[in-house]
Amino acid sequence: MTTLVHYLVQYGVALVFLNVFLEQIGAPVPALPTLIVAGALARDGKLSSTHVLVGAVAACLIADWLWFVLGRRYGYRVLRTICRISLSPDSCVRDTEANFERWGLKSLLFAKFIPGFSTVAPPLAGATRHRTLQFLLYDGLGAILWAGAGVAAGRAFHRAIDRLLLALERLGWWAVVFVILILALIVLFKWWQRIGFYRQLRMARITVDELRAMIDGGQAPVVLDVRTPSVRKRDPRRIPTAIVTESAEIDLHIGDVPPHKEIVLYCT
Amino acid sequence: MLMEKGFTVVRPLAGGFDGWVEAGYPTEPV
Repeated sequence: MTTLVHYLVQYGVALVFLNVFLEQIGAPVPALPTLIVAGALARDGKLSSTHVLVGAVAACLIADWLWFVLGRRYGYRVLRTICRISLSPDSCVRDTEANFERWGLKSLLFAKFIPGFSTVAPPLAGATRHRTLQFLLYDGLGAILWAGAGVAAGRAFHRAIDRLLLALERLGWWAVVFVILILALIVLFKWWQRIGFYRQLRMARITVDELRAMIDGGQAPVVLDVRTPSVRKRDPRRIPTAIVTESAEIDLHIGDVPPHKEIVLYCT
Repeated sequence: MLMEKGFTVVRPLAGGFDGWVEAGYPTEPV
């Protein structure tokens, strides 16, 4: 057995647990590659698939339960914190909220397959006051499906992964540098995406003071309230003259609006 | 989506509804 594989076998389950936990807590370190490698090692009889799955599911449940409790305690403020640390500009709270409202706790079954949604769904379940046992049940099933898919992929492609491990082994300590470099590049890329996303948003956004001045000056734009129904139920107010609509129904409300007319959207 | 439909000036409200309320501006019932 090569040294690299020897270490992977010795600390494999702990590594899977740590990696999955970090990813679920919101750190930008992908866990799927680790699960795939663990699956390949399990296929070769060097690791137990059951142990890997138990480690991954336990890490998911612990991390997700922590977010669930924080969501229950601090509500929607937790979601903003997650968006800050996850470096995923695509995980807009509103989109996640809409998905969650549509599917409820069942969305936890596939949440881990969708970047961004995975970390945001548990605190959302807490903020919307779902029961802990039901949450853990759906979250656990989702974790089994997700980790199972990773391990199954590793088992299916074990020969290719074995060759990759062997190639890394030949690199010696450079293999560690290589893996760290890849991780650093992923984090850097996500950070760069995020900076660009926020720069674009800053340029495009209108401030509340600007909007107020436009309304007072008789140059009111078309204002669309695109908050989700549950948020609107909690706070049944709107900006004066705003059109209350769902994303899918915007067409019904803007049919007569000329294309040059300014449109301002707001959510929570 | 709106820009794809030909609308040229589409801007999200910075701070959202919470920002509007925090600024003390008026609201009306939905």
